[in-house]
Amino acid sequence: MSLVKKILCGLLIVFVAIQYIQPVRNKTDKVLPTDIQKIVAVPDNVLAALKNSCYDCHSNNTRYPWYSFIQPGAWLMASHIKKGKADLNFSEFGVYSNRRQQNKLQAIANSIADETMPLRSYTLLHKNAKLSTDDKAVLSDWIKAIKDSI
Amino acid sequence: MKNIILGIATLTTVLTACVNSSSDKKENNIIAEQPSVSTTDTATKMAPAVAEIKGAISIKKILDNYLQIKNAFAKDNSANAAIAANEMVKTFANFNKSALTVEQAKIYADIEDDAKEHAEHIGTNGGNIKHQREHFDMLSKDIYQLVKTFGGEQKLYYDHCPMYNSGKGAYWISETKEIANPYLGKSMPTCGTVKEELK
Repeated sequence: MSLVKKILCGLLIVFVAIQYIQPVRNKTDKVLPTDIQKIVAVPDNVLAALKNSCYDCHSNNTRYPWYSFIQPGAWLMASHIKKGKADLNFSEFGVYSNRRQQNKLQAIANSIADETMPLRSYTLLHKNAKLSTDDKAVLSDWIKAIKDSI
Repeated sequence: MKNIILGIATLTTVLTACVNSSSDKKENNIIAEQPSVSTTDTATKMAPAVAEIKGAISIKKILDNYLQIKNAFAKDNSANAAIAANEMVKTFANFNKSALTVEQAKIYADIEDDAKEHAEHIGTNGGNIKHQREHFDMLSKDIYQLVKTFGGEQKLYYDHCPMYNSGKGAYWISETKEIANPYLGKSMPTCGTVKEELK
């Protein structure tokens, strides 16, 4: 067996082996008392946009695509979700202090306006997670309306 | 992180519950040097752990860190701002909350939860001064509130730059009367006016 074949064989074994190490899934049926819906009024169209474009990385509920079970992609995804939730978690929005909640909302509005969110690398793989012009208007109007109520 | 926040929240709730019974309903602006007597007494009786009231509360270290960040930004120095911001994160972690009255603790927790995050972002984004300054904008509002609540122990100026963020404007706190704009840096160092003298 040539060296190249040996290396390929080795890689294949590693690839198969790592499939057995699956990260914990970010999934829950519970709506926590700290969920943003319990803190402020979230109209249906706003919630739909948030779920579609933000919740995969910024909530306790990710919609996993079929390829998310294949390693090492699943690890990459898990680390993205972990980072996303550390910055902003809609499921635990109530944990933030009032001041921080207001700034989070402002930061959401800014990132949508600047188009820094949702991430381009994410919308490339999730075409329909891209926010339409209508979605953006819905979200920014909603933030304007609720921001001072907190 | 979450545990710390939960801890602070729980502590605040417990302390609030203890003291509300003393029917002391002072408004937000209790000054550090004059802790309300009934609040102190109740807290002492109810919780021996916080019996050691230390008198004046000093936010000087937090303020020093802030001014270092501000001066670094005025020189467009992203790296130094990050270093000072990381110092601020440590200062928050070591801040002695036991001397706070219940009302003060509530205000402090609200500010700290927010300010700490801004400091963390400024600290981890050395090299991305645009992003750092966005957080500095929000951090400045937090520090202003902190100074208003606890006193700054020195003469300070609350400055405003109308041009930053495409004309939305932003505030900062300075120890000097001369304007040294931390948002626009060297490109427009003297843009801004003093809006308020603190202390």
